[in-house]
Amino acid sequence: MSGRHTGQPHTHTVEGTDPQLYVGVHEPESDSGLRPVLLLHGFSSSAKLNWEDTGWITALLEAGRRVITVDLPGHGRSGAPEDMDSYSPSRIRADLLQIAFDAGVRPLRDGDPSSGLDLIGYSLGSRLAWEFGATQHELVHRMVLGGPNVADPLADFDLVAAQRYLADGTPITDASTAGLLKLAQMLPSNNIFSLLSLVEAIKGEPFDPAEAVPHMPMLLVAGEKDERAASMPDLAALGAKSGAMVEQLVLPGRNHTNAITSRAFKQGAISFLGV
Amino acid sequence: MAEISFPLPDLGEGLIEATVLEWLVAPGDQVERNQPLVEVETTKSAVELPSPQAGKVVRIHGGPGDKINVGEPLIVLEVPDNTAGIVGTVPKEEAPKRRVRLSAVLDED
Repeated sequence: MSGRHTGQPHTHTVEGTDPQLYVGVHEPESDSGLRPVLLLHGFSSSAKLNWEDTGWITALLEAGRRVITVDLPGHGRSGAPEDMDSYSPSRIRADLLQIAFDAGVRPLRDGDPSSGLDLIGYSLGSRLAWEFGATQHELVHRMVLGGPNVADPLADFDLVAAQRYLADGTPITDASTAGLLKLAQMLPSNNIFSLLSLVEAIKGEPFDPAEAVPHMPMLLVAGEKDERAASMPDLAALGAKSGAMVEQLVLPGRNHTNAITSRAFKQGAISFLGV
Repeated sequence: MAEISFPLPDLGEGLIEATVLEWLVAPGDQVERNQPLVEVETTKSAVELPSPQAGKVVRIHGGPGDKINVGEPLIVLEVPDNTAGIVGTVPKEEAPKRRVRLSAVLDED
């Protein structure tokens, strides 16, 4: 495949419909010869906010890595489909697989460092990466999961309370729900109703990390003050129990919002994936 | 040599201040154009600010946890006289892609 561009819209249909996902492929000036890195952003974020403005894309390109970014449905520059199915985690994983193949990713081959794919996820992106890695072990070489969580705060989201709040301002009693909704409303570019569709779809397929455990090497990273990732050691134990090589990195003083720009996080990820 | 002060740039979305998370450079460091200088956090997100031009770091303003208002000094760079004069003109290198960038405030003297 040739003529790839940054920001080329993804137009391949998956299961008969166009997922309307906005994909970016970023080529390094001097290629390390290593496999591409796919970046998966968090809930109510985007490839730009999670990876570009934070310096991740620049850092990976400087390390000679080819970078693939995608905006999740209803986020960033991706479309906001009306059907609920477009937002289900299983559908998103199928879309990611198609995006990887369209970007020229080939299955892992022994002794070929350009084959396969590395993944970096943050928050919801880490959940998607965990599941993607567990099911696509012939494709995924290594993964870095930032702000990961054994539990699923989106599955516990009080959708009824959120809809009531949006309709007439009735206060939301559940603190996690109120916090997530505030996050979703913070950016004018967010389509709040498609973010709620994503929440509803996730409630239909809540994260169960024990159901399918990735076997490839993983680096788990979280801010020391990240309450949403306090269960990171449990996730690490789950991976180790099934035979995966799992490393953990805790970022002193950082929380779920500001861990993402951390140099230690970027350097840790680049070095972990640089093999 | 000339000193140029760069204030905290407008971070968009009506944000008026940012909190310093971590400086990636220190006074005395030679920095390249586009080299990451500092991580800052707003009420909406955390961002990394790249250097608008090459130079030597003279001063940095604010330590981790300190708030800086948009427009207040963030960093002072020492640059050769022949490049200080062209601040505000089109740079020779290709145009930056990043939305948030520092721009200089020239000294009155």
